[in-house]
Formats: sequence, structure tokens, C-alpha cells
Amino acid sequence: MSDINIKKVSYLAKLELNEEKAALYEKSLSEIIEWVDNLKKLDTEGVEPLHNITEKSQNLRNDEVLKENSTEQVLSNAPEKAQNFFRVPKVVE
Amino acid sequence: MNNDWELVIGLEVHAQLKTESKLFSSSPNQFGSDPNSNVNFIDAGMPGMLPVMNSGCIEKAIKTGFALNFQINSYSVFERKNYFYADLPQGYQISQFEYPILTEGFVEIETENEVKKIRLERAHLEQDAGKSIHDIDPKYSFIDLNRVGTPLLEIVSYPDFNSADEVISYLTSLRQILMYIDVCDGNMQEGSLRADVNLSVKKPNAELGTRCEIKNMNSFKFIRQAIEYESKRQIQVLESGGKIDQNTLLFDTSTGETRAMRSKEFAHDYRYFPDPDLLPVHIAEDQIEKVKSTIGELPQQKLLRYVNEFKLEKDIAKIIISEKAYAEFFENLISAKLIHPKLAASWLVGDIFSFIKEKDLQIVDIADKSSKIIQLLEMIEKGTISNKVAKDILIEILQKNKEPVLLVKELGLEQVSDNEELERIVEEALIGEEDNIKKFQSGSDRVLGYFVGKCLKATKGKGNPKVINDLLIKKLK
Repeated sequence: MSDINIKKVSYLAKLELNEEKAALYEKSLSEIIEWVDNLKKLDTEGVEPLHNITEKSQNLRNDEVLKENSTEQVLSNAPEKAQNFFRVPKVVE
Repeated sequence: MNNDWELVIGLEVHAQLKTESKLFSSSPNQFGSDPNSNVNFIDAGMPGMLPVMNSGCIEKAIKTGFALNFQINSYSVFERKNYFYADLPQGYQISQFEYPILTEGFVEIETENEVKKIRLERAHLEQDAGKSIHDIDPKYSFIDLNRVGTPLLEIVSYPDFNSADEVISYLTSLRQILMYIDVCDGNMQEGSLRADVNLSVKKPNAELGTRCEIKNMNSFKFIRQAIEYESKRQIQVLESGGKIDQNTLLFDTSTGETRAMRSKEFAHDYRYFPDPDLLPVHIAEDQIEKVKSTIGELPQQKLLRYVNEFKLEKDIAKIIISEKAYAEFFENLISAKLIHPKLAASWLVGDIFSFIKEKDLQIVDIADKSSKIIQLLEMIEKGTISNKVAKDILIEILQKNKEPVLLVKELGLEQVSDNEELERIVEEALIGEEDNIKKFQSGSDRVLGYFVGKCLKATKGKGNPKVINDLLIKKLK
């Protein structure tokens, strides 16, 4: 059985789980990890990691400004807004 | 500072790149706009939007690579750094982790008695986050996404600093270099250059101590204060038998103290992985060479040239190179080779700088007057006008943009070098001075100065002091 700290994982994913769900996910995630751990058995000595299947370089664009969306559009899905800001519950450091 | 403790400091500097558009979107990269007006759907983290990289950012990174002696990597990878925060709508920051664009560089700084090499571990491209504003409403935070996606180059040093002075010296020269190569505007108040300070203390020859990281400071003054406060705090904890918790701190500018950030129940776990939306970046050798030719002279190279070629005093040369705009102004003054660089330099750092300081101007504000200043300096060099008169004319030029040649004529300020007229004045000055003449003849040089002064006064400051001096010596012997 792999070590899954389901509390930490759900915290990082911003998911609230009840006890029943937490136990279920803990079990299934552990199984997934165990299965993926099989890959560790492969000898990858001297093999460079593959970041992308194509060998192409990234497409670049010129450094030019295009105003594509208005402030209204950007704010249109916001649950709460005020004075052209998104308004969210207080987050203070 | 307690003498038997050593400070060990490493820096992470975030430089906002001076580009037109953002790192992965075409929105304007601009400070001070109306809230959420420089935002498109990519910046807002809307589902399905794809980032497209700005070639200008690669170019600025390569430039920085040359200027800071980095190895420029032909292969680099963008990864997702995952965390939730209201001003990061994507839920992750696109950054570089295992394959940064620049590795292993260095900067040389001047400390009190040596030149010290500060080794740089890496520099990578990443996105800036948005801004949260907490003081509009007691119950809510307000989010402005204009800054989301602004290109940052994060420059990470090794822990090579041992004092606040060294840190400030490094930041000063780093800022200068980035401004010279036009990579960053260096405006710290607007947050264009921000630093995280990693600090620990240890006894000489001991292992490294546990470090704390003070986040996100944008003023030299506060960085110095934070280092001084935090090092004292750590020493106090250790000397009273405690131990340092590895922690992320904020510097509270109102109290001058550091304090732990709140969101620390779980240590951060960023779960970096290569961003599937972005292919790796390959940089070709010829692209690197092309950028190299656009770098221009760096501040240290300029300093050497000013001292060796123009024979400027090092301190004066340092002032002139401290800002690119000063150096450009200076080089413009001497470009026609009519004026000796030393003369131009002393007027620039002297009267011209005091004028702009007094009027709270920038050097660019007087750039349009440089041809008139050149004319003035020419007259000084030729001895047409005295220094004293030149000072007055300079103010007239700077304030009223008047033509110096006209001013001299208009005010009758041309220096009198005419021998006959000066001879008359010298003779008059000697009348009734029998006692002083005797003193001079018995070897008192001080009297000569007195006579020169008297003659100059008679010419209302227009007499050429050297001619007067020569005439006096002739008469008095």
C-alpha cells in the first residue's frame, strides 16, 4: 500500500471530502500509484527525459500588443465584482 | 553586529522584463492602467485558452545571459508550479524548473576593500501574478489581474553574501546592468525589481545554519532593514539556546520587523510538471549571436573607458555611468570632440547635476539644451568667459533656454584678455599699495592673490585671471 495523505492531497486540490469519500479516494489513489510505480522497474540510466513527443521548438509570436478582451468581458463570469475589480473573500498575509 | 556570528545570504531577484506585451499573451505589459483593463482570457485563466510565447522575452533573457556571464541554454522547458491564490486564476504559475534558460553566471561587486565575485546559480522566465488589494473593504479583497502574465526573469544567486552592504552593492549593480541593456526599467517603486532574501547565521567554520526567506521586497532601504532585523533576531534565538524554524517571512515596513506568513499549515508542494500547452524552447546559435551584437557597452566597460581613455577621476566616472541616461548625456557633450572630456565631466557632475537636483528634474528633461551647453563649454575651454560668468550663463540656459553666445554679448560678459586694458587696471590696482608691494618683493606670495582679486573685482569678474596674474608678476618685479 502506498502512502497517500488524502488530507493533504485534497487540501492541495481544494476539494472538501467527507470521511466516506476520503477513505474511498485514499484506497483508489493508492492503487493507481502502486500501478504507476511499475514504471520504476524500468532501467532509464542515461535516457534523457522526453518533454514532448515532437522535436519541434515552441511557436513564438512577435512582441506586439493586441487588446482582445474588454474589462466587462473579463469580469462577466465573476461571482462578485466592484469598481472593475474581482471581489473575493478577504485573503491577507 | 555581534562579531562572532557570520551572515550567509542568498538572493532571488525578480526583474519584470521591459516588453510591449506579456509573456504568453498579447495584452499590454503596462503599469498603472485601470483595473482589469490589460487582461485577456488567457491572463484570466479561462478554460481552453492557450499560451503563446513572446519572442521578445527570449531575446531579453539572452541579453541578460551575456551581461551576467551566464551559460545560455539552447534547450529550456516551461513547467507548471501549482498553487491556489486569488490573484493567480490559472491555479498555477508557468515557470521554468529543471531546465532554466540561463545557468551558472556571476556578477562582480565592489565591497569596502575588494572586488567580490557573486556566483549566480540560474535565471528563469516565469509569469508574474495579479495584485490583491486588501484595504478597500474590511471584509473583502479586491483583485486586479493587470499584472498577471507580466514576464519575469528570476535571477537566483548562490549564498555568497555576508553583509547587507554586499547585498545592496549587488542589487545596485544588477539594476544598473539590466537598465543598460534595456531589459528592465529598474523602477523599484512600481515593483519592476523585487527581491527575496534567504538568510541564515553561523559561527565561523561551522556548518550552514537554518535559513529563513524574507519575501518580496522592493526597496534598498527596506532590504537593508530586513537583513539587519532578521540577523539580529536569529542570533538572539540561537544565543538564548533556541533553534531557528525554516520559515517564510514578510517584512513589515511599518514596524521594521519580520514575521511569519500565515498560510503555512502545510509546507508548499508545488507539484511541478512540464506544461503540456507549451513545447520546449530551442534556441539556435545564430539567434544568440544576433542578440549579442545588440547589447552595447556595459557599465563596467564604460567606467574603464572613461578612466583610461578620458582620464576621468574614478569617482566622477562612477557618478556618470551610474545611470545610462547620464552617460548618454555626457557622451553627447563630447561627441563633437570640441570639449575636453574632463571639463565636460566636471560641469556635468557639478553645476548641471546640482541644478537638476534642486529643480527635481531628470537628466532627460534638459537633453534638448545640450547643444547650448556644448557652446558654453567651448567658450570656457577657449577662455572667452570666466568660470564664474559661465556658472551664471549655465543657469540662464537651463532655465530660459537662451543662446549662450547671445547671452555673453548681451550681458557684456566676454572675458577681458586684452593686454592693454588689463595693464591699465593692474597699474590702477597697485596705486597706494606700497606696503603690500614691499611684502611681495620680500617673498610673500599671499599678496599676489590679494592683487589678483583686486584686479578681478575692478573688471567685474570678466578679467582673465591668468593674464592678470602674469601682468602683476611682471609689474611687481
